[in-house]
Amino acid sequence: MSDKIAKAPEKVAGQPGRSRWRPTRRGFLIGAGIVAGGVALGYTYGVPWVRLQMAGIFDGAEGPPGSFPKEPWAWFEVLPDSRIRLYLMKVEMGQGVHTALAQVAAEELGIGWADLDVAQASTERDMGDSLMTSGSSSVTGLFEPLLAAAATFRSMLAGEAASLLGLPADQVVVAGRSFADSADAGRSVEFYTVATSRAEWEVPQEVTPLKRWQEYSVIGQSLPRVDIPAKVTGQAIYGMDARVEGMKYGAVVRPPTLVALPKSFQAGQAGEVEGVIQVVIADDFAGVVAESRAAAQAAVARIDATWDEGHRWQQAELEQLVTVGGSGGVVIQEVGDVSRWLGGEGTLTAEYRTPLAVHTPLEAQAALADVQPERVRVWCSTQGQGFVRGQVAKAIGVDEKIVEILPTYVGGGYGRKAGWEVAIEAARLSQAAGVPVHVGWTRAEEMRYGYFRPLTHHLLSGRVEKDGSLVAIEHRQASGDVAFDFLPPFMSAVMGADFGAYRGATIRYDVPNKRTVAYRRDMPLRTGWWRGLGLLPNTFAVESFVDELAHGAGMDPLAFRLRNLGDEGDSGRLKRVLQAAAELGEWGKPAPAGRARGIAATIDVGTPVAMVAEVSVDGGSGKVRVHKIAAAMDCGLVVNPDGAIAQVEGNIMWGVGSALIEELAVQDGQVVATNFDRYPLLTIQDAPEVAVVLVDSGDGKPRGVGEPPLGPVVPAIANAFFALTGRRIRQLPMNEARVKAALA
Amino acid sequence: MDLHINGTDYTVAEGSGRLLVYTLRDELGLTGTKIGCAAGFCGACTVMVEGVARRSCLTPLAEVEGKSITTIEGLARRAEDGAWLLHPVQQAFVDAQVPQCGWCMSGQIMTAAAYLGQNPAPTEEELVAAMAENYCRCGCYHRIRRAVVAAAGQSVQAGSEEAA
Repeated sequence: MSDKIAKAPEKVAGQPGRSRWRPTRRGFLIGAGIVAGGVALGYTYGVPWVRLQMAGIFDGAEGPPGSFPKEPWAWFEVLPDSRIRLYLMKVEMGQGVHTALAQVAAEELGIGWADLDVAQASTERDMGDSLMTSGSSSVTGLFEPLLAAAATFRSMLAGEAASLLGLPADQVVVAGRSFADSADAGRSVEFYTVATSRAEWEVPQEVTPLKRWQEYSVIGQSLPRVDIPAKVTGQAIYGMDARVEGMKYGAVVRPPTLVALPKSFQAGQAGEVEGVIQVVIADDFAGVVAESRAAAQAAVARIDATWDEGHRWQQAELEQLVTVGGSGGVVIQEVGDVSRWLGGEGTLTAEYRTPLAVHTPLEAQAALADVQPERVRVWCSTQGQGFVRGQVAKAIGVDEKIVEILPTYVGGGYGRKAGWEVAIEAARLSQAAGVPVHVGWTRAEEMRYGYFRPLTHHLLSGRVEKDGSLVAIEHRQASGDVAFDFLPPFMSAVMGADFGAYRGATIRYDVPNKRTVAYRRDMPLRTGWWRGLGLLPNTFAVESFVDELAHGAGMDPLAFRLRNLGDEGDSGRLKRVLQAAAELGEWGKPAPAGRARGIAATIDVGTPVAMVAEVSVDGGSGKVRVHKIAAAMDCGLVVNPDGAIAQVEGNIMWGVGSALIEELAVQDGQVVATNFDRYPLLTIQDAPEVAVVLVDSGDGKPRGVGEPPLGPVVPAIANAFFALTGRRIRQLPMNEARVKAALA
Repeated sequence: MDLHINGTDYTVAEGSGRLLVYTLRDELGLTGTKIGCAAGFCGACTVMVEGVARRSCLTPLAEVEGKSITTIEGLARRAEDGAWLLHPVQQAFVDAQVPQCGWCMSGQIMTAAAYLGQNPAPTEEELVAAMAENYCRCGCYHRIRRAVVAAAGQSVQAGSEEAA
């Protein structure tokens, strides 16, 4: 089985509204059919009511909305060698989604694993309105549509095979890449022969019956990832690797400050650099096309640009800006009446902060654009090819219909490859120069000119009865935007607070009085999508504070959490992962000398996760060491257990880096870091040992995996630090300076 | 100028100050060698020169002219029947299902292969130290450790991770 980047399929004229499906020499091609989706919003009940309802929808959502093709030919093609190719609109960025979705398809196709081929669909293929590859939603969103499409496809082929073999439909079985007579294996017909035997196909009206989940044999197996052979041999192609004949290299002028606006661009000496093909100057944009990257970058530095540099923002000003309070708070959770219980004696309060951070995927933003008068093609590392298509069309002034985006493997997404800047840059340069142009950002560009995880600020208050039951908690949080910068303005007008920023902010314990309020803060730099969106900062604050309440009540932090969770529904699931993580992490047993353990949990996109972290600290240097993290996750029915475990492991490492070292500093109006010397990442030497257990809630339903495990990592570490030292660090990262200050 | 890469001779334009990573990727189409930071911090561009790990983003062509360069594309070998035989480090990375996004993996594998080529029986601590300057943003460190230990022919001994 191989996983490859598909060539654009040839277009086939289809009649809208009819289910048609035409084979050609290449096998099945696409019919017509675009699935549309939309959200209608009402003001009938008043804005605060709508906001609270929407907050409930977005906060509790098991994956964002989206719609997927129901027609089997949108997904499948029979190749001339009778393998079946599965086309996917979801991109592979290391989360194993191509493998997991292939398993889902293989389950109902009923063919051998080696006879299934996976290909990345370009935007030329009508794959519906599936939003992005984001939100831990690929498997949960595609699970049922893909099972149904696979079952229908198989049933249509089997029916035709039966007719070709002169057999009743229930007497043909799959034999390798053929259908055969179940009574006589010698009578068979290859898939490709079946597929090319008809000019038109009708999709059966009746729904093809699906297997019960208890009968699954491919789903639930830790099959090897389909993309890994190409990734260990250097054969996998990413956006930074995209190459076509005659291509040139581009670079673009960057602003000197976070808020600078261009006043004028002039070519200056740029054209004199050897290898320069064209200097491209527009009102809002200036760049160079050259024979090599080095020439393009050298020339761009010689373009004369003047700027309105604006205010030179400082770190402290940004922190001040992102502070809870004043008007504009949006209530996103309201249960009981916290005001009756909080504020007086017995109320505990605490304040938390998290810093700016940058995704800095090791493959920087990259795109290759070939802009021709009748056809525009862009090969791109992207999580959102549909958005890139629209943005590119708009930027170069062409009809979206002539623009094709060909997603490549993505060399690290984490939310950052949901942007489209580099695709626009490559397209504008290609349009101007008339040649294909590749733009690959430098590390400095990746550090400074994309978007960031916003600063956040959290104020929490809570009260606990003498018996350890929570009476009331309030969480007020302020954050820069996460989702709104990427959505139509009406969303922010209706919702008021950014659902991305408050993801993970609500209180999930069973408390009779709880309230969460989100304050949207407009920051002078672009902030946006991040793995788990607000999950990391919010869970850090909430689960650190719950730990404070436990210690304040003189209770064991695990016992306190269990005491305040019921046994039913999500509460029960959260309780069970807490118990499983505690067992795996040896909670309650003495830690090795000089170490202590902390626990934290969250539920995100319907997936509860709990972790126990074991840490030590070097009092001299202030360096915290995370020795081990034990994790338990209930993501329901697991398609590929090893793949799910790998996602937990990756989230843990990402969380350890955010907990201990990652902080993007701003000084004099600009991001300080231009490379990893000023923004170091976690290394293998500081990586903890990891143990993961998957807990299945047993309802046959898959749930999101890619982001939920990020939630508990940071608070588990912070809580362990408190258990070890008796000191609480409430501002990330827990770097050496902060640790020394806390211990002083 | 002649470069010997993966057993093949390539003639590239003169200009000895050019950096190896761009020549590999942009001139010769050997995109298996990745570029991460272009400043020697991340290790994504690691290749072998005469069997020694080198950051190709810091290596001018003049330093490798006439020397034997191995990239990820040249690490596996063809068997007599034409099948690919993965290098033990590559095989270990497959067995442990290490890569996620995969962008850093050529550098991880080349670093490990070069190190094991010179230190066939390292301790786990030494191995981890040898891998310590290769970033993995997806956080595959747990599995990288497992894979390089397996490739070194060692078994993970209880307690050794604690000491590392």
